[in-house]
Amino acid sequence: MAITRRTAVQGLGIGAFLPLAPRLALGQPAGILMRPIPASGELLPVVGLGTWITFNVGDDPGLRDECAAVIAAFFDGGGRMIDSSPMYSSSQPTIGYGLRKLGHPKRLFSAEKVWISHPEQGGPQIEASRAYWGVDKFDLVQVHNLVSWEKHLPALIEMKAAGRLRYVGITTSEGRRHRETESIMASQPIDFVQLTYNILDREPEQRILPLAREKGIAVIVNRPFRQGDLVRQFEDGPLPDWRAETGARNWAQFLLKFIISHPAVTCAIPATTRVDHVRENLEAASGTLPDEQMRRRMIDYVEAL
Amino acid sequence: MSEWGTYTLSDLVMFSPRVYFRLVERYNQQFWPLQLVWIAGAILILAPAATGLPRARVAAFPLLAAAWLFCAWQFFWERYTAIHWGMSYAAGAFLLQAALLALSPAPARHTDGPASRLRHRGGIGLMLFGLLAYPCLAWPAGRSLASAEIFAMMPDPTATTTLGTVLAVATSGKRSWLLLPIPLLWCAFSGLTLLALEAPGVWASLAVIVATLVLLLADRR
Repeated sequence: MAITRRTAVQGLGIGAFLPLAPRLALGQPAGILMRPIPASGELLPVVGLGTWITFNVGDDPGLRDECAAVIAAFFDGGGRMIDSSPMYSSSQPTIGYGLRKLGHPKRLFSAEKVWISHPEQGGPQIEASRAYWGVDKFDLVQVHNLVSWEKHLPALIEMKAAGRLRYVGITTSEGRRHRETESIMASQPIDFVQLTYNILDREPEQRILPLAREKGIAVIVNRPFRQGDLVRQFEDGPLPDWRAETGARNWAQFLLKFIISHPAVTCAIPATTRVDHVRENLEAASGTLPDEQMRRRMIDYVEAL
Repeated sequence: MSEWGTYTLSDLVMFSPRVYFRLVERYNQQFWPLQLVWIAGAILILAPAATGLPRARVAAFPLLAAAWLFCAWQFFWERYTAIHWGMSYAAGAFLLQAALLALSPAPARHTDGPASRLRHRGGIGLMLFGLLAYPCLAWPAGRSLASAEIFAMMPDPTATTTLGTVLAVATSGKRSWLLLPIPLLWCAFSGLTLLALEAPGVWASLAVIVATLVLLLADRR
């Protein structure tokens, strides 16, 4: 069997954290936990930045500046991956505004999506998204919610081969179409899969996450807090006495550490409008992470609340 | 397309209440004091139209058409589409309603049966609710008056005032029925959007729909 970068990374165990891995080229702050993208070995911080709802602020100058501050804090804290979609209305121009303000940080890992029924319009849509972001090319383009994936995926793979993007992926959310997602993961040469996974929505643990490890596919986790509902649901209750053993200071970090401690997860992408929250999220990507036994204990505690 | 069947209403509400009402505040600031002109103009024309003044009856539908046109252009097309791509379709629906109103003949005098009187008075009530009460709903919802929703500027009071006016001034003919579906559908969509946003005020849209249907049914008996 030929040894590729993907199989080599798998051999090392894709769950291996690399907090001290070389990051000088990107000026990566020390301490943040990183995981390799199985297809290439490239390292990604385990916490990224989502933009659903939070960055859709239209042309409101005050709110755009707030989002730009969130992006600045994200990069200051060692973040790399920002994820968006044409479905999110003005989120893309808001990202572009923030990136321009920061002089387009080299560390950016741009994750976009194609979301259109008519396959022939996929290319122009990606080009429009690229113009909004103001980047030369996207690092990752995913087929959003599997919309017309049969047509979009070959086009994305062709674009990757031509060097017009670096990675290809698919997305789903809120537990939709997992069977079809599995089938695509098993049969198509994709680099990333994005899906919803959190301490209460654990169905992906059964098949999709093991399949991702087996096939060497990076996993992006969306809706880690169920759009904030999980934090609101639990924040009135006490954190367990043993929370320090999880490395979490508060409920948001408790919930986030549960997700990123799963060995198949490459990156979780919580969305926020607040600088203190983005810092808090990135802090969860450092220090201790729960092991399997602790993860079980966290589930039992939350389910008993 | 099968993918669309997997979406829920909350998937299609892609902005926060804070962003939406800031958009409304900025919109109101940009046009102030045009809001007062719209309300005053509507009261001066629609109230006499409802009481039977012939000239006012002739002007009622053109005034409403202008309000729908303004709302389609300035609110939906110029602003709301920035945070919700689907609102370009709503702009089209509002333009269609403006055309229907502009092309509708001036309503004839109201008949005088008891059911018709109920529809007439209920219609005036809805009209006044759309013109005068809607802007004040910002208070109980915990928002400042800067984000008040005003006739012709915003879709909900425009739809409500239109439903009230049609009920109050139009006879129970089939032609007036053409003027009802778009405002009713908008009220339903608006109520569901507020529900998905968990924002207060859902009851207003739903109450307008119920009141309209009750008045229509009462008039048919």
